[in-house]
Amino acid sequence: MIDYLYDGTFEGVLTCVYHHYYTEEAAGISVKGEYQPSLLHDCMYVETDGAKASRVYEAIEKKINSYALKTVYRAYLSNDPHKEMKILRYLVLGFRNPYAAGHNRSDPAVFDMETLVKKVGFEKERMLEFVRFEAIKGDRADEGDDNDGGAGEMLYAEVEPDNDVLELIGDHFSDRFKNNPFIIRDLGRNKALIAYEGHWYISEGLPENLNPVRTEDEISYQRLWQTYFDHIAIKERVNPRCQRNFMPARYWKHLTEMNRK
Amino acid sequence: MEEVLMQKLQILADSAKYDVSCSSSGADRNNKGRMGNAHAAGICHSWGADGRCISLLKVLFTNKCEYNCEYCVNRRSNDFPRASFEPDELARLTIEFYKRNYIEGLFLSSAVEVSPDYTAERILKCLKLLRYKYGFAGYIHAKIIPGVSPEIIHQTGLVADRLSVNIEMPTSKSLAAFAPQKKPKQIFAPMKQITNTLIETRALKGPGTMFKGEKLNSMDKLVWPAKGNPGALVDPGSTARKGSFAAAGQTTQMIVGAGDETDFSILTTSENLYRTFKMKRVYYSAYIPIVDSPILPDRNTAPPLAREHRIYQADWLLRFYGFNVGELLGGKNQNLDPDVDPKVMWALRNLDNFPIEINRATYEELMRIPGIGHISAKRIIRQRIFRAVKFEDLQKMGVVVKRARYFVLCCGRYNGNKRFEPETIRNSMLQMENGLQLSLFDNKWMRLEEGERLEKLATSGVI
Repeated sequence: MIDYLYDGTFEGVLTCVYHHYYTEEAAGISVKGEYQPSLLHDCMYVETDGAKASRVYEAIEKKINSYALKTVYRAYLSNDPHKEMKILRYLVLGFRNPYAAGHNRSDPAVFDMETLVKKVGFEKERMLEFVRFEAIKGDRADEGDDNDGGAGEMLYAEVEPDNDVLELIGDHFSDRFKNNPFIIRDLGRNKALIAYEGHWYISEGLPENLNPVRTEDEISYQRLWQTYFDHIAIKERVNPRCQRNFMPARYWKHLTEMNRK
Repeated sequence: MEEVLMQKLQILADSAKYDVSCSSSGADRNNKGRMGNAHAAGICHSWGADGRCISLLKVLFTNKCEYNCEYCVNRRSNDFPRASFEPDELARLTIEFYKRNYIEGLFLSSAVEVSPDYTAERILKCLKLLRYKYGFAGYIHAKIIPGVSPEIIHQTGLVADRLSVNIEMPTSKSLAAFAPQKKPKQIFAPMKQITNTLIETRALKGPGTMFKGEKLNSMDKLVWPAKGNPGALVDPGSTARKGSFAAAGQTTQMIVGAGDETDFSILTTSENLYRTFKMKRVYYSAYIPIVDSPILPDRNTAPPLAREHRIYQADWLLRFYGFNVGELLGGKNQNLDPDVDPKVMWALRNLDNFPIEINRATYEELMRIPGIGHISAKRIIRQRIFRAVKFEDLQKMGVVVKRARYFVLCCGRYNGNKRFEPETIRNSMLQMENGLQLSLFDNKWMRLEEGERLEKLATSGVI
């Protein structure tokens, strides 16, 4: 038994799964910087290897099914500290009995994974709800050739999701705002979703001081929205507990209507 | 400009807030305009201080009303600030809010200014601006005012995703008493027209899973004779594209607790609406006394929120669980049980159907067990293909064990731990002892000290 350390990438996790089978059984898998040395086991840093990772990737798809592959990837996006071992246990079960991975929810390995996937999926839905854009001035303001009608305006949002769900919301927003370039920035992970004309990509390591400049009427639309928000509630029915259940306080920081400046 | 708009928004949001519907579900399309798409499941963007979701920008186009409905905040005789939007102003506001991801679309209703047709034409103008000038492809829910001409209803349906006509009161008697200017015929004619057009465009879906597997759009499902059919404005197959008319169907809304209707008559009306018009949903709103009136509840009456909640639960049983109203209520049971949910109420009255063996029951039988919903029922079925579901597994299936345990067998074992009779089960569910609810919490959900609890028991004469 050995503790594996990896670089935090999805391919890294898959490489560790490979070594679990071909080198030595894993006692634990952790990201390199977050590892707590253990007295019981040695540790080894696993160099991420594309060939090994893709062997595991294809094996999951062929020997279990594509649903399991999706499950594993979504679980990888979660912020659970033990996600790597949960993935490994699920795959070990699935390789032995593919049917169990799909059907036996009362098995702890399956239950843990389905719970992780549900959490990630739930937060993805929340991001579709809670992203709040601000209209900012784009660099292209001076160029005369843009015909998007936005006059060099673009949309900018900051989020801090618990799980790494940024790439899961790309399709939704880039379809919705095909003609508005936008940036959704994950402050905690310092990465951003950048989209233009229906295409999007994830950019890592943004400069600290982006200093977005709001357009002139941005503040008045924010005030209009806050006013609307206050007036749509029926005071005879006020129920803060219900409100917080649906809209947990940890998201308030980036909600225009809850975080008044 | 901003101050004027701000004031209008305040007044017209205040006037619209008693409309219940806010869902943005039922339509699914990619971006075909210049901005926006629709998500089948609907997206709520925020929750107000009252815990109701904010999905659409819900405003009245105007609150200057000719009508004088007793229950309504916008009634003519109410002294209240009045305002109207300009079509372009509202369209631009919607676009700006949508762009910032505050909302999923627009819910536009209106008071009756001048005449129903005059108001409806102004609404239509605004919606057309939004769709065609601003290229908005998000969600639009338009309210149809009773008495509007069929031609305008049809035009509105072509730009909106969802249409709704408010039935307001559950019986024609109460409608005559509370909204004398609205006639049942004016309400049912547009409903009928919308359903007809949906059938013609082959887009009728029906409520929940109530008509699952049935062909709703075939012509023989037309429930009324074609004679004088106001919906037959479009020849199916020629101009009508599939799903181009009100893709998310129609809904309606009624007020609970203004008159003296029973839950039975309210739910019977809903069931009739579901069966006749194949409506997507009926919304209920607990009556909030906002205006003084001799025939309405006193101004200090609290809105019947608990009752509204139980009615919604029963409504879900109708739409998704295969129940009908006759099973839940009728005879001497005219109202739902306030203490337990309607499914438990039904199960306790029909204990001879229980306990049900969880490993043999069909999906439909599972759905009738209190504490089991469609997700847990599907999980149980998925698991038992592989291995029997044991009592310890129920929680992992997502079953509410504290309710379900009294009604199920797991591998032949009963885990209810109590005598199998309605009163005993009801009491142990409510944690009652000697007729007193033995709660560890008081009604503000703070944990009680042992001394406080004993005191409570003593004052009520239990010990």
